[in-house]
Amino acid sequence: MQGNQYSVKVFEVSIEDEEEFISFFDFNHILFTNRLIVLHGEISDNIREYLNSKSLCFLENIDLPKKSARNIVLESGITNTDKKTKEEIEKKVTEEFDNKLNETKQDFEEQKAVLAQENKMLEAKLLKLLERLKNNLTVLDHMIRSGQELNIDGDLLLLGRVNSGATINIEGSLIVTQVIEGAIRCNGNFMMISSSPKANIVFNNIEVNSEQLKDGLNRVELKDGEIIITPILEKEINWVQL
Amino acid sequence: MGTVIAVISGKGGVGKTTASANIALGVAQNGKKCAVVDFDIGQRNLDMILGLENRVVYDMVHVMDEDATLNQALIKSKADENLFFLAASQTKDKSVLNETKVKKLVDNLKESFDFVILDSPAGIESGFEHTIKFADVAIVVVNPEVSSIRDADRAIGILDSKSQRVKDGNFVDKLLIINRIVPDMVQSGEMLKSEDILEILDIKLLGKVPEDKGVVDASNQGKPVILDKNSVAGNAYKRISARLCGEKVSMEDIEALDRGFLKKIVGIFT
Repeated sequence: MQGNQYSVKVFEVSIEDEEEFISFFDFNHILFTNRLIVLHGEISDNIREYLNSKSLCFLENIDLPKKSARNIVLESGITNTDKKTKEEIEKKVTEEFDNKLNETKQDFEEQKAVLAQENKMLEAKLLKLLERLKNNLTVLDHMIRSGQELNIDGDLLLLGRVNSGATINIEGSLIVTQVIEGAIRCNGNFMMISSSPKANIVFNNIEVNSEQLKDGLNRVELKDGEIIITPILEKEINWVQL
Repeated sequence: MGTVIAVISGKGGVGKTTASANIALGVAQNGKKCAVVDFDIGQRNLDMILGLENRVVYDMVHVMDEDATLNQALIKSKADENLFFLAASQTKDKSVLNETKVKKLVDNLKESFDFVILDSPAGIESGFEHTIKFADVAIVVVNPEVSSIRDADRAIGILDSKSQRVKDGNFVDKLLIINRIVPDMVQSGEMLKSEDILEILDIKLLGKVPEDKGVVDASNQGKPVILDKNSVAGNAYKRISARLCGEKVSMEDIEALDRGFLKKIVGIFT
């Protein structure tokens, strides 16, 4: 045996007046194409024919497990509408709709203008910031001692040591020529650092394995979320190969 | 006008007080009038190391509060007539110090002494800050180990930012004493080398003092080790004191000192 279980939306209606019923369905039959209609009361052949002609699915006089039925009070006013009122309502609705559409259009235009202005301002700010970062190179030729904390917006060229217990927070790129034993938090495009086995370096929120740093300067970059360390070696002479 | 020297270390137990006592006695023996002041209020030790424990009547808090004159509170050392000692209060705590009082005291001492040596408390709290505030020179005492170096580094950083001289646009001369060097351990790489320490701290080297068992006994007896002519540490302090007085004394290679004649011969054959 094979059984299938469906969740069906059911519309339950009891028929009191045949004409009323048919006029209601004339108006709303599209809403019921995917539903099961359960009819109560006296059902004439006329109604059956009508429902079949609209290819609606229906059952007659069945008790349903009524746990969560939604009661819809059908307004007889609508079902009894003659053509005049129908037209009036349609007209009203289209008018209202047009009005609303116009209003929203206006709102939209206004908002668009505001947003464009804001965008311009933000862009200008960003440009300013970028310019500042670009031209904001700090050069320090002293050492950073334990307990000292440097917070720098732009780039930094540091010619002294970074001692154990010192911290450097920097938004731009960083070049340190001496040994680092403290902590570095760098969010820039690149770092140039020498071999510093005791350092604690975090580059763009990723910890740099300081054991990978070779003697001499190393270039540290971020590519596809991975840290790439390239030792800058002395250039070897490439002889011509014949 | 004399020179005010603050002896600092950051970390405790590295030998600040011993160094203060020995240097003070050393410069006094070189004919300079020297006052040594214990700034470690509440935990004074310098009186014991100088052997002046039972002579303390008035301390620096009495002088600051004008309960006693400076001359009443200064204690003349038994070891040298050029050396005077001003004790810290043992009953008060460091909160009794304030900037104006300290400045007045230091200025008064400066007028009548060639050297005023201030023995700083350990740590970097207010007691330390008062000690360095009006110092012209700082002597940084470290042991050849990483914790001591880092704390000293921090202390130097604070000195550079809080000192009155730095605020006036001058700079404070910082001199390094590496204390308690064990030559064998340096050579085997267990202890930091002097060159490494100097590279980290980046200040001038005043002298190296080797580890010496005699120091403990000397401190207990109240006779600074500099009085012992056979002590290696005592001789090191003598050289340091002479350098402070402006003499040119060559650096002895303390790290290789322990390698006596016999050991050298053994060294050749192994």
